[in-house]
Amino acid sequence: MQNLETGKAWWEPYDQLMVATGAVPIRPDVSGVDAEGIYGADTIKTAINIIEILDRKQPERAVVVGGGYIGLEMAEALVLRGLKVSLVEQAGEVMNTLDADMGALVSAALEEAGVTLCRRESLQGFDVHNGHVKAVITDKSEILADLVILGMGVRPNSALAKQAGIPLGKKDAIKVNDRMQTDIANIWSAGDCVESFHLVSKKPFYVALGTVANKQGRIAGINIGGGNATFPGAVGTAISKICEVGVARTGLQAKEIENLGLSYVSSKIKSKTRAGYYPDAQDITVKVLAESGSGRLLGGQIVGKGGAAKRIDVLATALHAGFTVQEMIHLDLSYAPPFSPVWDPVLIAIRQVIKKI
Amino acid sequence: MSKERVIVIGGDAAGMSAASQARRRDPELEIIAFERGAYTSYSA
Repeated sequence: MQNLETGKAWWEPYDQLMVATGAVPIRPDVSGVDAEGIYGADTIKTAINIIEILDRKQPERAVVVGGGYIGLEMAEALVLRGLKVSLVEQAGEVMNTLDADMGALVSAALEEAGVTLCRRESLQGFDVHNGHVKAVITDKSEILADLVILGMGVRPNSALAKQAGIPLGKKDAIKVNDRMQTDIANIWSAGDCVESFHLVSKKPFYVALGTVANKQGRIAGINIGGGNATFPGAVGTAISKICEVGVARTGLQAKEIENLGLSYVSSKIKSKTRAGYYPDAQDITVKVLAESGSGRLLGGQIVGKGGAAKRIDVLATALHAGFTVQEMIHLDLSYAPPFSPVWDPVLIAIRQVIKKI
Repeated sequence: MSKERVIVIGGDAAGMSAASQARRRDPELEIIAFERGAYTSYSA
C-alpha cells in the first residue's frame, strides 16, 4: 500500500483479500491525447474538475468522442449548459450496443437535442496549442474544441491482479468462479475488474456496470464472511437517455447472435407509453429478437420517451427465466390508460415476432 | 487465534458491497478498505 498524500509505503497483511479495482477509461494512443482540456468521465473528482473548468473558463465548443452511454450522457449535460456540442462516432449510429436500426433513433434524438453528430468518423488525434486542446482531428474533419470528453469505453483495472499472478480472462478482466473467487486462494474479486458470465450466450463476457458490480460485491462479501452464495451471471441489461429519449437494451443484439452462429428472427414495433387517447402518451419503439425454431427470447431493445425504456426490465426478467416468446404472450402485465395501452408495447413486439418463428 | 483480517482494495460499488456484507455475516472480522480517491460508493 502507499499513502498518496505522504508517499509512505507499507505492506498490509491479509487473511482474505477483496480486489475491487474497477475499470479505467480507455485513452486512445493518438497524438495530443495528454493535452489539457481532454477528460475521461470516470470519477467524481473528474466530474468536479470538469464543472470547475466549465464555470471558470466558460468553454464554448465541446467535442465528445464516442457515442456510448457515457458519450450520450455527457453530450446531454454539456448541451444543457449551453455549449455547442459535437459527438464523434466511429460507427454509422450511436449506441452500438443496440442494433443499427434502433441506434438510428438515438442518433436522431441526439441531433434533435442540438448535438452535431459526426458519424463514421474515427479519431486520429488532437490539435494542441500551448499545451491545451484546440481541435479534434478525425479521418474526415477537424472539429474545434475548447473541451473534449472521451467516452471510448473502459477496460478492467486489472494490472495489480495480473502482477500478483491472478489469471485474467476476457478483455484482461479477472477470472472468478460463481462465488467471486479468483484462482488464487483467499483472493476475491467483483465489479468492473472481473469477467462475468452471460446467461443467454452461456459464455464469459465483460460488463462494467454498477448493477452487476453491486450484486457481485454482495456475493463476494457473504462468502468472505463465511457464508456460501453464488452469482449466476447477467444478461447485459443497460439503460441510458439523451434528454427526453430513453434508451435500453438487454440480452444479445443481432451481431452478437450472428457471432454465436445462431439464427434468429426479430420484430420492431412502434406503440405508445399510455393509451393513445390519454394525455402525454409518448412514442415507444420496441425490438425483440428470438431464436428461429425454438422461439427462445434472445434480446430486446427499447427507445422512447416518458419512461418507455424502463420497460426493458420485463424482457430482462424473461431472459433470466429462459422464456420463449410463445410463453411470453400470456404474461399478465399491468394495464390502465395512464400507464400503458391495453396490449403492453413489449407484448405487441412479442406477438409480431411469434409470427416469424 | 487473532481476528481474521480482510483487506479490500477499492471503495466503490463492489468493494463496499463486499465489505458491508462481510461485516453483517461476521461481526468479528477485522475489515480494512483502501480507496485511492476521496469518495466512496459513488456508483452504488
